[in-house]
Amino acid sequence: MRVSLICGLALFLLTEVVSGGDLLPADRAIEDVVDREIDAQLLKEKIKPAAQADDATIVRRLTLDLVGRIPTQAETREYVDSTDPAKRVKLVERLLNSPGFARHQADSFDAMIMAGGGRESMRDYLAQALREGRPWDRQFREIMAGDESKPETKGSSGFLKSRIKDLDRMTSDVSSVFFGVNVSCAKCHDHPLVHDWKQDHYYGMKSFLSRTIEFGAFVGETDYGTVKFKTVSGAERQAKFMFLTGKVVEVSGGAEPTREQRQELKRRSDEAKKKKTPPPAPSVSARAKLADVALQEGERDYFARSIANRLFARFFGRGLVMPLDQMHSENPSSHPELLAWLARDTISHNYDLKRLIRGLVMSHAYSRSSRWESSTSAPLARMFAVGAVRPLTPQQLATSMWVATTDPNSLPADPGLDPKDSKLEPLADRARGLASAIARPGEEYAIGVSEALLMSNSDRLQDVLAESGDRLVGRLVKIKDRGEQVDLAVRNVLGRAPDAEERKLLADYLAKFEGRGAEGCRRLVWALLSDSEFRFNY
Amino acid sequence: MSDRRRGSASFCGSPEHGIGRRAFLGGLAAVAADMTVLDVLKQPAVAAELKKQQKRVILLWLAGGSSQLETWDPKPGAPTGGPFRAIPTSVPGIQISELMPKMAKRMGDTTIIRSLNTKNGDHGGGAKLMMRGRMDDPSLRYPDLGAVIARELGQVHSAVPDYVSFYSSTEGRDFAPGAAGFLGSRYSPMELTTSLMPENIRRPDAISEIDHAERAELREVLSKRFARGRSSSELGAHNEAYARVRGLMASDKLFDISKEPQKIRDEYGPTQFGEQALVARRLVEAGVPFVRVARAWWDSHGQNFETHQELVPELDHVMSTLLDDLKRRGLLESTLVITLAEFGRTPTINASLGRDHFATAWSATLSGCGVKGGTVYGKTDAKGQSVTDGQVGAPELFATIYRALGIDHQKNYFVGSRPVPLTEPDTDPIDDVLV
Repeated sequence: MRVSLICGLALFLLTEVVSGGDLLPADRAIEDVVDREIDAQLLKEKIKPAAQADDATIVRRLTLDLVGRIPTQAETREYVDSTDPAKRVKLVERLLNSPGFARHQADSFDAMIMAGGGRESMRDYLAQALREGRPWDRQFREIMAGDESKPETKGSSGFLKSRIKDLDRMTSDVSSVFFGVNVSCAKCHDHPLVHDWKQDHYYGMKSFLSRTIEFGAFVGETDYGTVKFKTVSGAERQAKFMFLTGKVVEVSGGAEPTREQRQELKRRSDEAKKKKTPPPAPSVSARAKLADVALQEGERDYFARSIANRLFARFFGRGLVMPLDQMHSENPSSHPELLAWLARDTISHNYDLKRLIRGLVMSHAYSRSSRWESSTSAPLARMFAVGAVRPLTPQQLATSMWVATTDPNSLPADPGLDPKDSKLEPLADRARGLASAIARPGEEYAIGVSEALLMSNSDRLQDVLAESGDRLVGRLVKIKDRGEQVDLAVRNVLGRAPDAEERKLLADYLAKFEGRGAEGCRRLVWALLSDSEFRFNY
Repeated sequence: MSDRRRGSASFCGSPEHGIGRRAFLGGLAAVAADMTVLDVLKQPAVAAELKKQQKRVILLWLAGGSSQLETWDPKPGAPTGGPFRAIPTSVPGIQISELMPKMAKRMGDTTIIRSLNTKNGDHGGGAKLMMRGRMDDPSLRYPDLGAVIARELGQVHSAVPDYVSFYSSTEGRDFAPGAAGFLGSRYSPMELTTSLMPENIRRPDAISEIDHAERAELREVLSKRFARGRSSSELGAHNEAYARVRGLMASDKLFDISKEPQKIRDEYGPTQFGEQALVARRLVEAGVPFVRVARAWWDSHGQNFETHQELVPELDHVMSTLLDDLKRRGLLESTLVITLAEFGRTPTINASLGRDHFATAWSATLSGCGVKGGTVYGKTDAKGQSVTDGQVGAPELFATIYRALGIDHQKNYFVGSRPVPLTEPDTDPIDDVLV
């Protein structure tokens, strides 16, 4: 036992000290560092990466990633036709500052934070925080111990609330979502595979959360409560308030309250519940202490590395450490220096999410083609030599279906003229119903046969494929020339011109429906929507 | 607050639990290619053998908690026994409730397990436990029995669904929805709640057969063009899902009992439970590996005896018809029929003449494939308050079910680098009831 403990500590120290001297200078741009580090490894392994994707693909990729929908025909045309050398940075700026950014990133963060947790959502709180550009460390503090009576932190307790009946799950999820480590294996015994994690760490984390109570519709916290646990040998141990790094903090209180104190607490609770006000704050919040220690200099590496890794994964299809909740000494990063640099940069720029996202999507590594044209077999995904093929989330997919089937004439011809996206944003709301039919809440999401059956036979697609109003099918029917019909449909749905082969294939298909009204156009648009090209961000 | 170490309830790959380093390394090799995707270490020989034998399961889920005392473990004469008698069965020495005369004549294919002690007496927790064989751990959501069987006995390109679940009553439906857990939605059930016909399985009237087929072909051509030079497991899954659509649509007639001779329909009877059981037989006959038919609501806190007087004879009729039908078709050898609930009911009769939730000493049955019929395993005391012999929990029951189907109950799945065995490593199946 003692031997393995010492061994574990040694490993721990080796990996946790980020040696600043070996990293690229702090004042470099994020995108340059991403490219420098990834290219260095490609060079070392003698891999020539895929070429940059074409402009139509880049504008689609960026629009899907930043605002959660495909671009309109006008947006694609503007980007592709522009000869401005700064057009990409201008596009990214426009998207980052459009209302779709907070909406879509709120959906993405919601999926990350509420993973596996039933139907609850923190979207309203997250959208507000993202709209204001609230730093990630502040969001973490608010999620752990936000004051729900203040309008700006309303709904911040959703994460805790959805786990309030299961303290072990709360412990595990806090560690995994915010610090990228899964300590649940250390619950019953010191982690058998990862020397970093001891029972002390698990119960240390649990201690910080153990005073959490349900309080009417709110989440409260008591002044007392500590955690005891049994070691493998059966000895009972008092857990310390210990963070994942092993740092122990003192949190006052702990003694069980007297009967009078308990009655007083209950009286105050009942009163607050009756008034529907948040619970009285504890004199010392153990959860706030957790946020303090986790964000302290010397301890904050887990927090910074985890958000950098999770955002990297969001835009590149995989993290620099995989799986995302296994960031420990025995599961090294594919690009350790890059991860360390990004973590340092994130800390020194006040956990600014928008800045980090902008840097990641401005890199050349982000904009590579997803097609491997070389005759050699494709390199491993962790080399980032070729663009990833990533499935759209149900919400991205449903919103994109609405955009793809909207008559382009009913949308602004100049994307810059409507900064509020007043025509496009309502489509995201209209799409929520369809999105919820595609995804089953609480299920690990994967593309399955129920989605294919829904697409093939459900009447839920009637609205998008309607002939009326501002729908694409209605517009297509009015066009006489089949070539023009094909051209418009492919541009609107797939965001590119059809090639010669597709033109012929699709025009021949339409020809079979001669004299059958909108039938042919509707089937053609269906095939484009259910095609893999539409289903993925490539 | 104190946590005891739960050696058998949570598995982390520790050598203490009996899985060695080699198993773990094997897992690493398997997941190295793509750590994001669940990877399963297959044992090809075993798997191939299973697929050949086409084994299947029908689970009769007695939602709400049926009473063991009014079914499989009667205690006539005891103060807790209630008004019903016990009757002898076709197997000398075994007696069951008089409410089940038909099953009494057919005990030869069924084994009764009378010694379940599953400890969880609330509907939600109990239903999850008995559908999954264990409780979720904080970082892992387990697949339920149907999803595991779909994964193990289903075929990737199957033209029939591989997990079908009927649950028509709204009572208790949300307590244990079909759950694929970490196996992912590929193994989620096709759930039927309002009708005998699954959602989106029928072609809409607005599109003709030929248009529907040609449209799908066009989709496929376009997708193949896109896939050139690109690879991802999700891309494969997307096209695989569409490839199954036409086959699944063709399976709509499996759900249509009007295709069944009137004589057979009459045998099952005109009840919803009977009709669903008949569909279940049609499905397993066509190769669907797992069907759950839920019958609710057995939660008899009041008027326990009236409730059971109504529900048990129906169960008796449907179950015996189903077993007869499967046997006649030569399917019983390869089909395991299970009766199970989230828990049983208290021997103590409450003031409303009800029985309450009771997970301490209750019963389940296994019939057909892989089990020794005409046997009883385990024993409860004279009043039915506790197990006196052969106590087992959900893990042992699940291990027994897996083994009856020829599935290695210690087989590992890998979630990331973490080995997750089908049942916890120190779990033994009930060998006494296995063939």
